[in-house]
Amino acid sequence: MYDEDLAIAKNGRISAMSTRTGLLVLILVASAYLLFIFFRGVFMDPELYASRFADKFLAPSLAHPFGTDFTGRDMLFRSIKGLSASLVIGLIASVISSVIGLVFGIASAVVGGKFDKFILWCIDCCMGLPHLVLLILISFMLGRGAFGVTIGVALTHWPELTRVVRAETLQLRAAPYVLASRRMGMSTFRIARTHIVPHVLPVYLVGLVLLFPHAIMHEASITFLGFGLPPESPAIGVILAESMKYIATGKWWLALFPGLMLLATVLLFDLIGENLKRLLNPTAGNE
Amino acid sequence: MKKTYSIVMLSICLALVAAMAGCSGRTGGETSGDNADAKDGIAVYVGTTIFSESLDPVKGAMSYGYSFTNNALLKVDPQSEYVGDLATDWSVTDDALVYTFKLRDGVRFSDGSDFTAEDVAFTYNTVKENQANNENVDLTRLQSAEALDDYTVEFTLSEPYSPFLDTAAMLGIVPSDGYDSEAFDRFPIGTGAWKVAQYDADQQIIVEANEDYYEGAPAIPRVAIVYLDGEAALPAARSGDLDISMVTPNFASDRIDGMRLEAFETMDVRNISLPVRAETTMQNADGDEVIVGNDVTSDVNVRKALAIGIDRATIIENAFNGIGKPAFGFTDNLLWADTEIDADAKRDEAKGILEAAGWIDADGDGVREKDGRACAFTVYAASSDNDRYLLAAALSEDAKELGVDIEVKTASWDEFGKLQYSSGIVWGWGQYSPTVLDSLFNSGEFMKGPFSNVVGYDNADADARIEAAYGAGDQADAIENWKEAQRIANADYPYLYLVNIEHCYFVSDALDISAETQIPHPHGHGSPIICNMKDWTLK
Repeated sequence: MYDEDLAIAKNGRISAMSTRTGLLVLILVASAYLLFIFFRGVFMDPELYASRFADKFLAPSLAHPFGTDFTGRDMLFRSIKGLSASLVIGLIASVISSVIGLVFGIASAVVGGKFDKFILWCIDCCMGLPHLVLLILISFMLGRGAFGVTIGVALTHWPELTRVVRAETLQLRAAPYVLASRRMGMSTFRIARTHIVPHVLPVYLVGLVLLFPHAIMHEASITFLGFGLPPESPAIGVILAESMKYIATGKWWLALFPGLMLLATVLLFDLIGENLKRLLNPTAGNE
Repeated sequence: MKKTYSIVMLSICLALVAAMAGCSGRTGGETSGDNADAKDGIAVYVGTTIFSESLDPVKGAMSYGYSFTNNALLKVDPQSEYVGDLATDWSVTDDALVYTFKLRDGVRFSDGSDFTAEDVAFTYNTVKENQANNENVDLTRLQSAEALDDYTVEFTLSEPYSPFLDTAAMLGIVPSDGYDSEAFDRFPIGTGAWKVAQYDADQQIIVEANEDYYEGAPAIPRVAIVYLDGEAALPAARSGDLDISMVTPNFASDRIDGMRLEAFETMDVRNISLPVRAETTMQNADGDEVIVGNDVTSDVNVRKALAIGIDRATIIENAFNGIGKPAFGFTDNLLWADTEIDADAKRDEAKGILEAAGWIDADGDGVREKDGRACAFTVYAASSDNDRYLLAAALSEDAKELGVDIEVKTASWDEFGKLQYSSGIVWGWGQYSPTVLDSLFNSGEFMKGPFSNVVGYDNADADARIEAAYGAGDQADAIENWKEAQRIANADYPYLYLVNIEHCYFVSDALDISAETQIPHPHGHGSPIICNMKDWTLK
């Protein structure tokens, strides 16, 4: 631990939480919050965020901590439901995206040759286009809605991870024990499965977690722009888009709380990812 | 760390982008304010439809009755009656085939040329020849338009067509010599009180008073019609950059210093189409398979129970801040509207109808069922129109009282093409011409036009009345037939009428918009307020 602390101190990022236990606690607390939102939203009674016109435009109070919107929907429950929807979409999209990244990354490095060039070309194509534009295109083409957004996010977030996995694999490929296995006649697939995947897994896991905030933000962004989830659904992007119409009339709570909640969620995921990276790869501080 | 940064930045942007809307609106407003010097003119925000369409009457511009650059032969007065505009007098032959108009003498176009019967004939013939460019003014039944002398024009129809007088009020006259199809999109020349001085696409249209206008030049020399995002209009008005700002009912409870809220009577109704056919699939006009009909709304008892059982006042209160009048059909400011029905909030009677028809809530979940089918259907509102969504949501809440479950969704106008035959759609109607009844009730229109008779209404009696109304020799006869067609169709409740909306605007206290010469506003919140712009004065 001494080395790591020193490294962190050198980077000027010293903190009381920089012990292994501290990191673990931090990760657990953050995960608990995110899991709470996830399950609270998934199992929420739709009545809780249904329209009740009698209560429209109530400022935050004890009964409605986040206030109510123009049809009298409780913004706290609506925000939780919306974030939960974002989490579900983010989860599915990140998993798909990261699996694509893992498979492409390893295959690209292990197979090499023309296949490697092709994958690199695909990565360049994907990264050459602005993320959001590509996302909107795919989502729109697939008829928008949850399906369009999920596929859109999944198909646009794999290149970064693919590159990381590929680089890692290239390094491993030259390792003596991999060369030895090859000489001894192990098949490419078996080498990939037994020698490479286990080594790449930590990188993959961190990459997966770090994909989350991106996926969530992008889901919220394209929904905000009107190319994602339909306006009647409780989604954080919809909530923020609607709040814009009323911000000029002083309904500040419509934008503030859901916005902060989204921000917190994204930052927490990032925190989990960064700390996971330090936990799984303690020497990263030396890089 | 770069990644973290970008995420944080993106989050902050999203969270705060709402707050920035106000700022961007302000900038837009200031620009317009600078251009239209406050001293010699006014700046108005009346929506953006005026920017999205050509200003050329030949292509259908301003056919709803509030043209500011061109005049038509007739115009509507505040009592919804037709009076002469460029025509002073008109007559129709007994066979209803020949219309003769006497024209006003001494009128000049804004380019200085004289207005004569030649121009009228030219305008009508040009529209007829280019009918495909003009979907608002239908001249397919016009056989010929002829100038008998300088101030008499005669129209011969191929078959009797009583709404021809509506046509005469819709089509602005352009000069036969100066007409230029391309230039008129932005700079139409006409006999109207205004001429376009400057046209900045999607920014502003500046109009100046036409000194030669036959009723005398308007008192206000310049009006800048500005283009703003809906959200930006309110901040712009608040900062004093606008003299008129259109506002949706939801914001009408706001107060702006130096401005007052004016709500105008309209003929604009909102109704929901309820498919009357049982569910099946059919091919639409494009050859695509679409689902037609709805097994819940095809039961006339469900439609009737909704029509008499919902509480419109509550719905309007909830959706529109109470601004608007309950509607049960077309409004009484239309000569041809049938206004006999007015059953509202008869909860018990409505429930009785549903129960008698077998819709009973057996499982106690608040929604009635019949033969295992829940009394539930979907209503779509245009995703571009938040007011309609609100209206549908308020209806949905109210219909729960009756045990009818209405799910509200949004879709784009393109998507309506497939959804409209099997789901409820929130529509807005409001025009002087009764031809709207044809597209609502005529069985021959089903699956024809893009948004015609979407409910699939099919009633030979109604068809016959519509036919008779078209062919009627005089207006009284036509109106009687139009009314009868509505009576027949409305007895089947194919459309659930909810509200006759009111168009709301914030108007500067320094501006008098001559409320007494405003005509009842046709459909299209925004532009109709300019119908009498020539009568406005600054205090």
